[in-house]
This record gives sequence, C-alpha cells and structure tokens, in this order.
Amino acid sequence: MTTVACRDFLDRFDSSDSPRNGSPADLSVQAHLRHCPSCRSFVEDLGKIRAAGAQLAASDPEPPARIWFALRAELEKEGLISDTPSEVPSKSWLAELFSGKFSVLPRPVLAGGYLAALLAIAFGLSGPINSRINRQRWLDGTQSSTEPLSAQLMSAEKASFSSWPASETPVTASLHQNLEIVDNYISLCENSVREDPENELAREYLYEAYQQKADLLAQLNDR
Amino acid sequence: MSTAQFLPLRFNWKTGLLAPGLLLVASTAVFAHNIEKHFKVEPRSVVTIHNPSGKVVVKAWTKSEVMVIATHTSDKVEVDAEQTGNRVDVMTHQISNSISPEDLRADYQINVPEDAELQIHDDSGEVSVANVLGDMNVETVGAGVDLEDAAGYLTVRTVGGSFQCIRCAGRLEVSSISGSFKLLSLRSYHVHAQTSKGNILLDGEFLPNGIYRLKNYSGVIEVHFSPGDSFDLSATSLKGKVNSQASLIPPAHAHPVSKFGNAILGTFNAGHAKVELSSFDGTINILKRE
Repeated sequence: MTTVACRDFLDRFDSSDSPRNGSPADLSVQAHLRHCPSCRSFVEDLGKIRAAGAQLAASDPEPPARIWFALRAELEKEGLISDTPSEVPSKSWLAELFSGKFSVLPRPVLAGGYLAALLAIAFGLSGPINSRINRQRWLDGTQSSTEPLSAQLMSAEKASFSSWPASETPVTASLHQNLEIVDNYISLCENSVREDPENELAREYLYEAYQQKADLLAQLNDR
Repeated sequence: MSTAQFLPLRFNWKTGLLAPGLLLVASTAVFAHNIEKHFKVEPRSVVTIHNPSGKVVVKAWTKSEVMVIATHTSDKVEVDAEQTGNRVDVMTHQISNSISPEDLRADYQINVPEDAELQIHDDSGEVSVANVLGDMNVETVGAGVDLEDAAGYLTVRTVGGSFQCIRCAGRLEVSSISGSFKLLSLRSYHVHAQTSKGNILLDGEFLPNGIYRLKNYSGVIEVHFSPGDSFDLSATSLKGKVNSQASLIPPAHAHPVSKFGNAILGTFNAGHAKVELSSFDGTINILKRE
C-alpha cells in the first residue's frame, strides 16, 4: 500500500465512489484519511453535500410552467422546433419533447438544451426556497427571543392586576390606559414581524414596546 | 441652614357671611398650609423634589440660596424640605392611610441658583422649570413638563404627560408613551426624543456634529429647517408617509433602512448634523421654516 500526500489526495480520490471499495488506491486514500483531519473534513463535507443533493432530488419539485414556456420559446426562436403544445406542459410532455421530435437533433445539442433547462429550473427554484428558509429562520429567531419575554410580561401583568385595589386613582388609571396603548403596539408589531420577519425596524419597534410594557408594569407595581 | 415661616392665609369674612355657597370653599382654604423655607447652598447644589400630585414651578435666580414655598390643603399630607450638605430634598409625605387623590395635592414654587441640578418626580399636575442651567431629571406619569432656557443634561420621562422645551440647550433625552413633544428654538447638540402615540415637533438649530433622533409609533413627526442648515437626513416610516421639502443629495450607498417602509435619505448642504426620524405608522414631515 502506497501512502498519499494531501496534494495527491484529490487526484486519487474518486468522489463518485465510496473510499471503502477495497481497491489498492482506495486503501491508500483511506489510510491518508485516517491520519489527515483536513482531508477527512473535506470528504465529510462532500458527503453532506451529496446527501443534501439526494434529498433535494427526492423532493422532486415541479418546476413552474413559465420555465417550460420560456424554454420552448427559446427553442422555437432558434428554429429547433416549430409546434406549439396545446396542453399545459408537464413532465410527460417534456419527455415526449426530448425523445420524439428532438430525436433528430444531434446528441450534444440535446444535452446542451437539457442542461440549460436544468440550470433554469435550479435558478428559478433556488430564489424562493432560500427566501422561505431565511424568513423562517428570522421568524424562529424572533420568536425564540420574544416568547419568554412575552410570557414573563404576561405573568407580571396578571400578578399586578390581581393585587390591585378595586378603586383606581387618576395616576393608576393613566398607567393602565397607557398599558393598553403599548399592548396595542405590541400586537401591531408582532403582526408586522410575522408578515416580514426580516424587517429589522419592525423587530426594533417590537422590542421597544416590550421594554415600555416592562417599565409600565414596574411603575404599577411600585404603587 | 434654613428658616421656616408659616404664613397664615387671608380670609375674607364678609364674603363668607354674605355668600353661604362660598363658605365651603373658604372654610377649606382656612386649612391650607403655606410653608416657606430658605437654604444657603454652594455652587452646583442639588435639589430633589418628590411630589405625587400638584404643580411644581422652579425658577433660577441670582442668589446662592434655595427657596421653597409649598402649599397644600389637606391635613393628610405634610411637606418636608431639608438640607443635607449641598443637597436640598423637598418631599410631600402622606401621613394618613386613607387618602383621596385630591388630598395628595401640594403645589411648590422653588427658586434655585442657576447652576443647580434638579431631580423632580411629580406624578400628576404640572412641572415648569425656567432658566436653570444645571443637569435635570424629570419623571412624571400624567404631569406635563415645560422647560424654558434650560441647559445641561436634560432627561425627561413621562407616561402620558406632554413635554415642551423652549430654547433648551445641552443634551436632551425625552421619552413618553402617549405624551406629545414640542422642541422650540432648540439649541441642543444631542436630542433623543421618543414617544409612542404622541406627536413630535422640532424647530431649532441643527448644530454641527449634533445628533437629532426623533421616534414614535404613530402620530406626526415634524421637523423644520432653514436653507442654511446642514444635516444628513434619514427619515423612515414603516407604514406611514414621509414628506420632505428639503432638496437632498442622495446617499452614495444604499442604506439598510431604505428597504423597509417609506424612507427619505440624503444630505442637505454639507451634512454636518445627523437627523434620524423614525415612525412605525405615523407621518413624517420635513418642512421648510416659514
């Protein structure tokens, strides 16, 4: 078994196979991996990327119809096809398109068209998916930071109201009235954050409203 | 060192006898307590005032002395004014467990040296301070606060009380929930004003390197400027409108706030001061001074 240096590792490492198939080259690669944390980390990352790719493929997202129309329009413009599909495009239509009328085209042209279609799908889908993931992350972050605060304030408010005498002075009435105002703003801000979780201004207003509520409750408790 | 004088209230017996309806008013006034105290102080004295309800009027004078005149009508409260070193503490005490809001009321007229530092707490009523140049902290619930020709580090917090500041200088920080603010003929180099439901009006000089931050949730923020002013402006209303009469040079780089809500950003003249206006769903107006 020969030993492998890091600089040779990439040349000898075949990413399409697992480095555990027992061939001499793979054994040397495996030996290197056992002793080199950097290359091991690289292979692990590669494995994660592969797994993520497989997961994405398994979900089999249906591309929007506009992709197929755009693709078809481009092919028609280049004179590669002339017919217009009569029905809503579907995957079977695509298969027919590539296996039927395009069968006369040279393979490299077909491959290029297919690749272009895949790229268009990837770009078309990655924007909305990333955006959704980002939104969810922001929402989760805001919720995890505000939920305990909100719960604490609610319990402080309950405690404050339960120990409160029946008759109110003008000062405590004013505090309660302003507490209602702040509660209303908290509700408005929470809605805004839910609608647009990435909006840092809305979050800032929400946090400040919580702060105001805490100040008001502290003032009420002091009396 | 202090001297105290208990001033008897004048009572018009003729009115009391001729108009029995007025007798009640007059007899209430018979029990009014007026207290006047004087305290010699050194420069940069501190005066603290704690009054649950009533009017607090503070004025600067040229004497090295603090004068406290207090008036209250109820026997259920008493007024204390004491000196500890260079500090004078003025306080309204509740001396009965059962007391109505009206009984709590005490009014003060206080004269202090120009450089005195003030700490005022007045829940309801009114606070008015004029010509005091020392630092100042005012806290109220419903009481409105009026400052005139004040300087130093001014911090004002109200819950529902309005705030007005005429010819204020120094550093100003004011916050409220539902109070409105008027900052007129302002000469401050640092202003941070925040209210939830109130309006904010700023009409004054934008000093070079000054920072002016006004913020509310709803209501109107209005800022007046002159053609000779110089400031960098950032005005953003998340759900409301922003109107500006200033011809601004747009910023070189996109500002992060510009992607949220309605925003007007840019530089007016050389941009020496920084003006940041922000509202949740209120309107922001940047208007040319008439």
